[in-house]
Amino acid sequence: MSGTAAASPAGISGLTLDGLRTVARQEFRLRIRAGHWRWLLGLWFGVVVGFAVLLRLGLAAVTPAEDDRPLGPPLFGGVMLFVLGLGLLIVPALTAQSVNGDRERGTLATLQVTRLSAAEIGLGKLAAAWGTALAFLALTLPVVLWALIEGGLPLGNVVVTLSVVGLLLGVVCALSQALSAVFARSITSALLSYLTVFALTVGTLIAFGLATALTSEAATVTYEQPAFDPQTGEVIPGGGTTTETYRTTRLRPDRTWPLLTPNPFVILADSAPRLDRHIDPRTGREVARPLDPLGELGDAVREARRPPRDNVSYGLDSGTTVRGGTGPLWPYGLIVDLLLAVGAASVTVRRLRTPIRKLARGVRIA
Amino acid sequence: MSYVRINGMDPGQGITAAGVRRSFGPVEAVRDIDLSAPPGQVTALVGPNGSGKTTLFLVLATLLVPDAGVVRVAGHDPLTEPDQVRANLGWSPDVFGVYDNLTVREYIEFFATAYRLPVGDRRSRADELLDLVHLDTFRESPVHVLSRGQKQRLGLARALVHRPRVLVLDEPASGLDPRSRVDLRELLRAQAADGVAVLVSSHVLADLEEVADRVVFIEGGRTVAEHSLSALPQTSTRPWRVHATDDTALVLSLDAMGMAHSAPTPTGVEVSLGSDEEVADLIVALVRAGVRVVSVAPSGGDLEAAYLELTKERR
Ligand SMILES: Nc1ncnc2c1ncn2[C@@H]1O[C@H](COP(=O)(O)OP(=O)(O)O)[C@@H](O)[C@H]1O
Ligand SMILES: [Mg+2]
Repeated sequence: MSGTAAASPAGISGLTLDGLRTVARQEFRLRIRAGHWRWLLGLWFGVVVGFAVLLRLGLAAVTPAEDDRPLGPPLFGGVMLFVLGLGLLIVPALTAQSVNGDRERGTLATLQVTRLSAAEIGLGKLAAAWGTALAFLALTLPVVLWALIEGGLPLGNVVVTLSVVGLLLGVVCALSQALSAVFARSITSALLSYLTVFALTVGTLIAFGLATALTSEAATVTYEQPAFDPQTGEVIPGGGTTTETYRTTRLRPDRTWPLLTPNPFVILADSAPRLDRHIDPRTGREVARPLDPLGELGDAVREARRPPRDNVSYGLDSGTTVRGGTGPLWPYGLIVDLLLAVGAASVTVRRLRTPIRKLARGVRIA
Repeated sequence: MSYVRINGMDPGQGITAAGVRRSFGPVEAVRDIDLSAPPGQVTALVGPNGSGKTTLFLVLATLLVPDAGVVRVAGHDPLTEPDQVRANLGWSPDVFGVYDNLTVREYIEFFATAYRLPVGDRRSRADELLDLVHLDTFRESPVHVLSRGQKQRLGLARALVHRPRVLVLDEPASGLDPRSRVDLRELLRAQAADGVAVLVSSHVLADLEEVADRVVFIEGGRTVAEHSLSALPQTSTRPWRVHATDDTALVLSLDAMGMAHSAPTPTGVEVSLGSDEEVADLIVALVRAGVRVVSVAPSGGDLEAAYLELTKERR
């Protein structure tokens, strides 16, 4: 902990566009001049393009010849999944020393005594960090264009998904920055930033799994199926149906799904365009899709929201009960994450406010 | 303490602090400091390491909330009106970092922007200040290659960027070469002549003596004394440096007279003397004893003498 704010006026007082721009431009300039940005961005671009090429070859190899669906959605989805994953690894490194790094280097106090307000310093730095993350995202646009050319991708949908990824990277920026404002040592905030990303990605999954297991309930379920010949296993035409009633323990993911929603991958998967569903007209079942992990994930989450039925019928439906029938849930998750980001940014600003009343042990202001 | 009116000027436009207290956990960094720094004068804050100078300056610079006390900087309370104080205050900490990968000019221009100088003024103000602190030949050099003394001068330029009415400089002379010290002195005098209230802390007392109008002594976080430099209290004794052609003979004679002295150095020995009479008596006695005296001169300034006397009392 590095300090709590004084009795100065609350809220984001003293926020001007000019001040925000001053800080953001300075931060951006320092970032660009430090390190080997050209190399880093080049490497990133190379890796993303390489991944896209391999994914496209893989898709072509596993798609059956008679499947004429365009490969845009799985290509775009796969690349976005990859970009979000890498982005979540890179962003904490970009931001986790934003405030305490400056304090350690002795450049924060001289900035705080200028006319720049705490809000301008905090949000300006955040804007620069987010801008850097967006620069990485912008480098994937050529690959997105390629996916668009492959077809099957509504442009509006692509824009939504790109915006969602951009916002998610911004959320991680804000969280990392707040940690750097709260903890005095940059090594601590860097570690906690990665743990936060871990909590959002893996932690939400674990929480969902555990909560679902713990909230399982006893239920009586009636199964109904067409009568069939026990010798041949064939359905007896006109043979009516048989019903069986079981007492079972059943999971209720429809109650615990909100735990999954802050997960960036779930948000991305659910917001991304996916392949049209192919229903086999003979069986009424859905035809498995070749390789669309993002679409599969999106459908799986939507399906989790569907309440279980007490009456289950097999082989009697006419194709209406395909998977993933509930509405989109990514807006909820995105709102939750954006609220987290707003909270984090306000923590940062409060920590930057001077004069300081409480100082963390062993921290000198100057 | 005389922080109400000095030389007929209202120190409310400079700095006044009364009963300031601030601790860090169990460490009482500042216990009870009173001081004033009136406009048009250079006030020196003198105290040993750890006496609370930097902590007091952090309070003045709107960075730290005092536990108690009343502070006014340029007529404003750093606690409730930090922005007004910042608009009028130039502060340079004793140590600070600079951004890597910025040139000296860009560094000053950035602070000109941060202090909201008009766009058209920033470049010219930066050039003007770099001339003032003699960093003009380093204009396009990266800031992080500057030496400690050069960085100190850069910090001074930064503190002056918005033409503050109050200047608070923490150990500005540290790391400076003799030439730069003289320049600093002239710069501070010029600021004071422009009506700026200047408050400097330092432990290089000889420097302060040349530049300061007033001095505030602190020790252990308390104000011990506050004086105008022309009215420093007369000390009972002060150090004198005696040098002879043969310092061995000098030491023998002093020992024979029973006079305490320091170990001999190439420039002689130090003895503690009170009045001018005592000094004259010593010279006569030494000459009579056949010691060929080359020089007898006060060692250290009046300020140092007063300071040593004060801190001696408190030991
Ligand atoms: N942030 C801090 N936390 C704990 N102790 C501090 C802190 N800042 C200063 N101190 C202590 O307060 C005392 C006064 O420090 P300082 O104001 O820096 O003295 P000076 O500048 O006169 O040398 C010292 O004993 C120092 O160790
Ligand atoms: Mg100090």
